[in-house]
Amino acid sequence: MLRYAFKRLMQGIITVFFIATATFFGMHSVPGDPLANDKAMTEKIRANLEVKYGLDKPLLSQYGIYMGNLLRGDFGISYTQENRRVNDIIREHFPVSATLGILAIAFAGLGGVLWGALTALYRNRLPDLVIMLLVILGISVPSFVFAALGQLLLVNLNDQFGFSLLPVAGWGTVAHMLAPSLVLGLGTMAYLTRLMRSSMLEIINADFIRTAKSKGLPATRIFTHHQLRNAILPVITVLGPSIAAITTGGFVVEMLFAIPGLGRYFVQAVQQLDYTVIMGTTVFYGAFLVFMVIVVDLLYGLIDPRVRLE
Amino acid sequence: MSALLEVRDLEVEFDTYGGTVHAVRGVSFDVRAGKTLAIVGESGCGKSVTVQSIMGLIPIPPGRIVAGTAKLRGVDILGRPEVDGRDVRGDTIGMIFQDPMTSLNPTMTIGDQIAETLQTHRGQARPQARARAVELLEMTRIPEAEERAGQYPFEFSGGMLQRAMIAMAIACEPAILVADEPSTALDVTIQAQILDLLGDLQAKTGMAIILITHDLGVVARLADEVAVMYAGRIVEHGTADAVFHQSGHPYTQGLKAAMPTRNSRRDDPLQPIDGSPPDLFAPPPGCAYRPRCPNAMRICERRDPPAFPLEPSDASRPSAAVDVVSHASRGDAASGSQAPAPRTPPKETEAHPAKDATAAPHHRDHFSRCWLHRAEASAHRGTVNPGASQ
Repeated sequence: MLRYAFKRLMQGIITVFFIATATFFGMHSVPGDPLANDKAMTEKIRANLEVKYGLDKPLLSQYGIYMGNLLRGDFGISYTQENRRVNDIIREHFPVSATLGILAIAFAGLGGVLWGALTALYRNRLPDLVIMLLVILGISVPSFVFAALGQLLLVNLNDQFGFSLLPVAGWGTVAHMLAPSLVLGLGTMAYLTRLMRSSMLEIINADFIRTAKSKGLPATRIFTHHQLRNAILPVITVLGPSIAAITTGGFVVEMLFAIPGLGRYFVQAVQQLDYTVIMGTTVFYGAFLVFMVIVVDLLYGLIDPRVRLE
Repeated sequence: MSALLEVRDLEVEFDTYGGTVHAVRGVSFDVRAGKTLAIVGESGCGKSVTVQSIMGLIPIPPGRIVAGTAKLRGVDILGRPEVDGRDVRGDTIGMIFQDPMTSLNPTMTIGDQIAETLQTHRGQARPQARARAVELLEMTRIPEAEERAGQYPFEFSGGMLQRAMIAMAIACEPAILVADEPSTALDVTIQAQILDLLGDLQAKTGMAIILITHDLGVVARLADEVAVMYAGRIVEHGTADAVFHQSGHPYTQGLKAAMPTRNSRRDDPLQPIDGSPPDLFAPPPGCAYRPRCPNAMRICERRDPPAFPLEPSDASRPSAAVDVVSHASRGDAASGSQAPAPRTPPKETEAHPAKDATAAPHHRDHFSRCWLHRAEASAHRGTVNPGASQ
């Protein structure tokens, strides 16, 4: 188990290295540079700035310098935001994004498993049909539509009640977190519901469920110990990629709900070609995702004894 | 001896997109304490559905129990697996299944799976139940039971899993063990071990066994009584010896002929029963075996043949009008042969002709032919297949 974890971690580091390399060269191949936005830029100032930031050096040596700094854990200084270190940007804003993401994953996972199991138990009856219709909506409607509709609904509700039921936007309290994380998790929840439903349907007719019934176990125990535990396995395998989906979806939701997360910096940085911030956020998100996928794989090994982690 | 479980006129149907499947069409049998009843028949003849509906294991819907009773110690358990608020399944009746590889929960240790039966029915705490689980594994001759109890099904071989299944089924010392093709999915050598184990456990605990199988070898090894099923009905029912040596139904004879014997030579062709079982969406009128029966007659298109009560108490389909004729004709025929005459006094015979005058001659005719066939068959058996029942 430990050996396996170590091996996966090494693979993860190599993956992150490739992410960094690909992003670096991809980013530099985009026309323009971080200095192109400034007005009143004379040739002289520009040349000075290029020397200051090291942009005058050949690309390969820039790459070497950057990777060297990265190894020391230094993401550099932002080009567009005066005197802000990328490490500080991540440190300040990532916890916000992570909180949002974790809540969204929790909503998606719990909701997906519950709705999925419910639809399977009520297969082809009314609850199943209604939920599956909603699931199709959840999968096909993008999160920014849900975000906007959700805000509209909240505005109307708050208006009706005469006091603020849930804040429409912003960040700070637990109440602020509910609406955006629900919106963010909705698509994944719909996807997980479908997955859970089909996996549960397979399990419901499994031989070992018949055995459990023949042992006279109460229905609740059959559900929790025999059906749920086996049906949940495929859901756990896709949790890793789901985290990726939720993280990328987070950028949009953060913008719409005015949440001071990392996503906004990521998007801004790309628009302004702020090289160090693009690199910093991409490598950080990449490393985070790789790590989460590894964690999910290890978790899978704990839940399914048949998976030998070697 | 009074019966532990009395099943009477059980009828089970399944609604499917193709129509209604009449899977079980009036089955009656008794299970006696400490005895083994084997239910024999081809795939799809309703053996498993019969026991699963008694166990409350068929999915409803699409399944439906149309008629019948199953009295366990006098209480009808059909359609409600609970008696006095307690589930009889796993408690009074244990069950083991055909494929041990898929019949155990892959994500739970063997010990826990045995223990949960005890926790449910005996209210034992988990450590206590786990300790008992280890004992049960030892009882079913699993080596290193302590360690094995902590393992998962995928770490067991097929034979070991079936032993673990048996341990699970007998955890609460059931009065009846239902074994649904317990050895079919196993290697031949393992099959014998499992059957021996079942026999030994029965001797030790005095439980009754309902053994479902299509393997006459298994029947010969374990069964005290045999019920032969065909197309959702029991066509013949009697002691194992009687069914092996005095069977009267052409289907039973076909089954026996299809089984190679130890005297078969390498180039002896196997003798299958031609054709396949009837479509149970629309069971044919008359005898379901008629299309495949070498002795079929015109009357068989309209009526089921009468029951062949191999033992007086074991009339599988008691039906007065038909029984009478069968007794009468058997009586006639028996006078000319060494076969045992039925001991039931044919007291209704005199009353009968007036009731069903037209059918009687056909029956008599049918039975005399059937009888001839039987006589030939038993002569054949006597020379060629003396060891069929052992």
